[in-house]
Parts: sequence; structure tokens; C-alpha cells
Amino acid sequence: MEREEGKIRSTHRISKRTILFGVVPFIVIGAMIVLLLNSPGILFQSSIKPLPEISIEKVEFSDDTIVAFVRNTGPSEITIAQADVNDRIYPAAIEPGQTLARLADAKVIIPFVWNTGEPYGIGITTDDGTRFEKTVNSAAPAPRPTLGQASTFALIGTYVGVIPVMMGIVWYPFIRRLSPNKYNFFLSLTAGLLVFLGIDALLESNEIAVNALAPAFNAQILIIMVAIVTFISLLYVSQRLIQRASKRSKPDTEYKSGYSSHSEPDSELSDIRSSTTSFQQQLLIRPIAISMMIAIGIGLHNFGEGLAIGAAVLLGEVALSSFLVLGFTLHNTTEGLAIVAPMAKSRRIPVTKLMIMGLIAGGPTIIGAWIGGFLYSPIATVIFLSIGAGAIFQVVYSIGSWMYQTNRGRGLLNNPWIIIGFAFGMLIMYLTGLLV
Amino acid sequence: MTYPRIIILFGVAISIMIFGISTMLYSRTSLSDQNSSKLDTVGGHTPGYPILQTTGDVLDPTSFVINPKTAVVEPMKYLREFNYGRISTSSNGTVIRDFTLIASDRQTKEVSPGVFYNVWTFNGTIPGPTIRATEGDVIRITLINNGTKFHSIHFHGIHPSEMDGVFEGIAPGGKFTYEFTAQPFGVFPYHCHMQPLEEHITHGLYGVFIVDPKQGRPQADEMVMLMNGYDTDFDTENNFYTVNGIPFYYMHHPIQIEKNRLIRIYLVNMLEFDPLNNFHLHANMFDFYKTGTKLIPDEYTDIVTMNQAERGILEFSYKYPGKYMFHAHKTEFAEKGWTGLFLVKEGTSQSVNENLNVTSIRNITNYSTSDFNKTTSLVPTGGVN
Repeated sequence: MEREEGKIRSTHRISKRTILFGVVPFIVIGAMIVLLLNSPGILFQSSIKPLPEISIEKVEFSDDTIVAFVRNTGPSEITIAQADVNDRIYPAAIEPGQTLARLADAKVIIPFVWNTGEPYGIGITTDDGTRFEKTVNSAAPAPRPTLGQASTFALIGTYVGVIPVMMGIVWYPFIRRLSPNKYNFFLSLTAGLLVFLGIDALLESNEIAVNALAPAFNAQILIIMVAIVTFISLLYVSQRLIQRASKRSKPDTEYKSGYSSHSEPDSELSDIRSSTTSFQQQLLIRPIAISMMIAIGIGLHNFGEGLAIGAAVLLGEVALSSFLVLGFTLHNTTEGLAIVAPMAKSRRIPVTKLMIMGLIAGGPTIIGAWIGGFLYSPIATVIFLSIGAGAIFQVVYSIGSWMYQTNRGRGLLNNPWIIIGFAFGMLIMYLTGLLV
Repeated sequence: MTYPRIIILFGVAISIMIFGISTMLYSRTSLSDQNSSKLDTVGGHTPGYPILQTTGDVLDPTSFVINPKTAVVEPMKYLREFNYGRISTSSNGTVIRDFTLIASDRQTKEVSPGVFYNVWTFNGTIPGPTIRATEGDVIRITLINNGTKFHSIHFHGIHPSEMDGVFEGIAPGGKFTYEFTAQPFGVFPYHCHMQPLEEHITHGLYGVFIVDPKQGRPQADEMVMLMNGYDTDFDTENNFYTVNGIPFYYMHHPIQIEKNRLIRIYLVNMLEFDPLNNFHLHANMFDFYKTGTKLIPDEYTDIVTMNQAERGILEFSYKYPGKYMFHAHKTEFAEKGWTGLFLVKEGTSQSVNENLNVTSIRNITNYSTSDFNKTTSLVPTGGVN
């Protein structure tokens, strides 16, 4: 007994030897770094310079100038020697300077009288003569952050984000009167819509990662990473949210459970106990929480959509037509439906609350359009789209587990309404997506 | 409004995160504008184009003077430098001219302002030195291969098979003397003929070989112009086009010539990859002697188009002082470096003479347009270099 106790204690006490074992790897690695950095020839005899690599992340057209934003995405320092427009060499300025450290960026300003609507290839040549090019399909003046342009973007954001979501929310009373089967149909339809949006966000960010970002960013891994981290952290947050909400709203409900939760409100133990035991409260509170999570997830998605719209205007990739806006509007109406569907069987939700959810879901489109239009950055767009995807899949998971609990004993995939709803949800998104 | 606090907190957290990431990603752009210690000017060469002020660096190959220490050639020196060789006479009175060329392929030199490229050269420059002789002279060219690959010299013109530089390569460290009689008169390219041919040519192993007619040509301000290009990123498309080795060089260093003085240009096209190249002279016309093998001009024109290795002699003089462009009328080439300027001055001869490398030219001020025929004073043959 005594020996065992000693053993246990010794594993918790850190001896000098243990410290030594902990520190030795760091010393060895440190020594290796010093050695390799000071005498690079020790391992690699080659004198060949690594190939340079430059990403032209965006090209902006303004009054008689073309501005290219370049980043050194190669393995070593780079000096930029020349710039060209359509493969014709022109004088240019480069700020802050022509020598770029690894991953550093610079702005190349070319005085050039360009023509609206024509394609341009902007070329950058490094000091070893390698030329990098970015093609812009249709030159258009870069949006300036003026009040007029800001309100145009706000208007587009309202049409594309806020109005459609609100329209979808208007269906709330209609959904409340549905039979359980039809209710299941609409819930799974929501899940279908969201799965589509999530996949869409992943593909969209992948496209940007491949086309606009250099391999040095490992952007495709970043997408998956950000999406997973968002998913698990939102899962945790929503879990906590439901626990808190069910505790807080207890006095309001008539479904009083036999279990007391008057002990210590902040104790983890009581949290877990109340969450595992008061299932009936959950049945009541959880839909609102899920709806809120959906609103937040869709908000993030719409933020990404706003970024994409703003960026498309900035990069001259799209002329915003009323047809395009109409397409986005129809496409996004279903998002409002997604928000209200889980709440159909809970107590009445005040209109202001619905409005707030609608704003949380739709409003970010405007902010996204502003940021995307005035300050486009492909890496930021990729990160936001991935956050949106992670958030949406978390919501799908919540809806799934919610439906599983409300359909206890029958299982999800045994219910044809759920299967049809899910498929139909994706189909709706696909068909309305054709308009965009 | 009984919202659980955590929802509001969560919303606030998300907003802060969004704005945090945005600010983080965009702040650097505005930061870089702040160190406005110096201001440089860009642009303004073209009428109607804006002139910008910048705190950063200026990239302007159209007006930058390339550092002569790193440049692959000094175009102004090359322009009027004719090498007549080390002269001796054989027992039967034939003039023998000895030349030495050193081939190398290890250097990296500046071919356009700020752009460094692994150049393969004869005597360290692109184009290689201009070799000049008179019809009937015996020329002996010793090629020393200082490179890492086999090299050779293939002259255009008439000579025996073993002097053709095709089937016998000179190994690294090796040496060979090409010997043949200069014939016929005209203007010719010379270049390395080792395989892969395209690689050896595009890296810069070429130059101009001039054979003067026995009776000489009328006295003139003579210059050599070789049209070439550089494919610095190896995509079989030229990144730069030049006349005499450096893009845009004669734009910021106009070639000074005198009004009414006869100008003679030995023009050779060695451009790789592009099937055609041409030379267009502004505000003037020239007599064109295709390949330079006749003394009667083939054409009176202001543009001549050539395939690779085609060449000829241009003769003209300017009536009015001022700046005149000459460039490829394939505008792509012009805008990627094959553009230059003549600066025509009143004929005071003094300042011009300093620039000239051409010797034995006299009575410059007396030379008038009425002398613009091929019967008057001739360039003396031999005796130079």
C-alpha cells in the first residue's frame, strides 16, 4: 500500500530527471536550427536558387491607374523588377518597396489609361526574369468607399439578404399549423437547404483558395480546419446555450419537472444534471435555441455571400444585374424558412424576436458587401466562408438530433416525409441557384 | 425580450471576431502609406498618361539606365564598334585578320533593368563583337571554349565544310581556329551551332560579321544593329525584345547623328521564337540593300521585315533636326523593348565625333545631301584595329 502510494505520488511530482527529459528535445532542435541556419551547405550542396513565386491577389482599376496587389508566396525573398499590362512593359511604382520578404505584400501602381469592360492581363516580372500574370475579364472602376457606393451595397445587401430572410420568416404562422408529418417535412427540408448551403460555401472557398491563393497558404487545409473548429465550438456553445436557457426559463413554463435545480446555479454538476433530466423543458426551449443558431449560421453564410458579391463588383467579374439580384433573392427566401421551421411547435414567438433573428441572418450580407467591395482579401473570404460552412453543418447536426429526439422510436430514415423533405430542400436550392 | 444572455454574448463575440479578422487583414495596406520620407515620380513619358508620386520604388525599364557593370552589353559602345582583327600579310600579299572569341555559359547578367539571366556569350556580351573584314581577306578566328558545354561558331557566307561550325564542336576547355577567305561582301550573322540549337541561340551566342566590298562603300556614319529577344522564363516566348542587347536603351540614350550626314546601319535579325521582326524608321525613308551583297539598293522604304538570320544594310540621312523614333513595327516587340531614338543635330560635328568610334571619317561638315550617291569618297579598307 505504501509503495503504491509512493508510486502514485512520484508520478505527480516532477523530478529533475523528468525536467531534463522534457528539455532535451528542445535543446537538440534548437541546436539543429542554429546549425542549419548558419551553415546551409551542411546538408544541401546545391547552389540552385529556389524558384520564385508571386501571387497577384487582386487588381483594381481606378482613374488612369491599374493597381495590382502582389504577395511573395515563394520560399525566399524576391525582388520585383518590372510590371506590364497585356504583356506590354510600362513604368510602375511599387509600394512599400520592390524587395519582398517571404509572404510580404506590395502594391504595384501602373499609370495606364484603361477601357471599361475590356479584359486585361497584369504581369509582374521578378529579377530572375520570371513573369507572373493575373487576368481580369472585364475592367471596371473599383468601388470607392463613398457614401453613395456604401448605400448601393447596403441596398444590394438588403435585397439579397434581409428581405428574403424576412419573407421566409413570414411563413411562421403557416408552419405552426402543420401536422407532425408536414412539420417533419419542413424541418428536413430546412436541413436539406442548409446542407446545400454548407457544401456551396466549401466549394466556393475551395475555388477561391485554388484560383486566388498561393499554395504557400495551404488554404484548402485551412478551409477544412476552420470549418471543423467552428463546428465543434458552436456545438459546445449551443449545448451551453440550451442548458442555460432551459434553466433560466423554468419559472415561465408550465411543464414543471420533478427535479429541483435550486442548488448552485453556476455549478457544472447541476448544469449537467438539469440538462440530462429536464428533457421536457428542452423540447420547449431547444427549438428557439436551434432557430437562433440557424440564424447565426445563416448570418455567417450571408456574410460570406456579401463578401462574394462585393468582391465580384470590385474585381469586375460581374456586372450586377437586376436578374442576378432577383436570383439571390429567391435563393435566400428559403433561408428564412429554415429559421422558423424548428420553432413551429413551441410557444408563440414575439414578432420582435423573429425580426431580430431575421436581422442576424440577413444583415451580415450588407456588412459583407461593404468589406468585400471596399477591402477585398481572398484569404479573409476563404476564412469567413469556412466559418459559415462549419456553422451551417453544426445547425444541420442540431436539427438532426432534434428531429431524432422528437421522433423517438421511429428513427430518422424510416420516415418518408423526412427523406423527401431533405431531398426537396436541396433541389430547391439547386433550382433557385441556377438563377444566380 | 427575455433573450438568454449567452445568445447576445455569442452574437457580440462573433461580430468582434469578424471585425477583428477584417481589421487585422487590411490594416497593413494603410500602414504602408505612412512612411512618406521620400517621393519618386512615375510615368509621364506618354502624352495623356498620369504622373504619379510614390513613397515606394519605381519600376521603369523605359527610362532606367542599366548598371554597366552588370549589364550584358553597353549598347552605345557596341553600336559603332567594329573589330578588324590583328592584321598581318601573307607572302602573296593577302591581308590576314586574326580574331579571338571566348565562349562562356556560366555568367548571369542584367538583360533588362532589374532582370538577371544566365547569358551564354562570345567575349562576354550579347550580341558578341562585330567582326569586320574586306572581301578576299583571310580571316582566322580562334574560339576558346570557356564554358561548360560544347560550343562552336557557324558563320554565314562561303567557306569549306570543316569551317562551318556544325559537325565539329569545341569541348569545354578546348580551342579551335576557323580559317577561311571572307566572301562574298555583305552582312552576315555568326552564331553557335551546337544542339539544342534553339537553346544556344536564345541564350545569346551570336553576333554580326561584315565583309566590305573591295572598292568600299561611300563614307558614312556607320553603325551595327542586331535585333534579338530574351526568353527569361523559358516558356518559348520572348519576355524582352531589343536592338543591341538592352530593351529601351536608345530611348533614354538617343543615338546622336548629324543632319544631312549619310547614316549606314548594318542590320541583322537574330530573334528566336517569333517568326518575324522588323525595323521601322520615323519621318524618313532609307535605301535597303538586302543581305548587303549588292551595291545597288533593292528598295526605298521606311520599313523592312526579316525572319531569323535575315539581314541587310540601310542608308539614309535626316533633313531636319530633332528626335526620331525607330522601332519594330510589330508593336508588341516595340512595347517590350525594341524601341529607340535618333537625335538629329545640326552638323557641328565636334560633340558627335567624341561619341563616334568610327575612325577615318573626314569632311563631315562638308558632306551634303547632294553627295548622297555611291560614287564619292570611300571608306578605306583595312588599316584599322
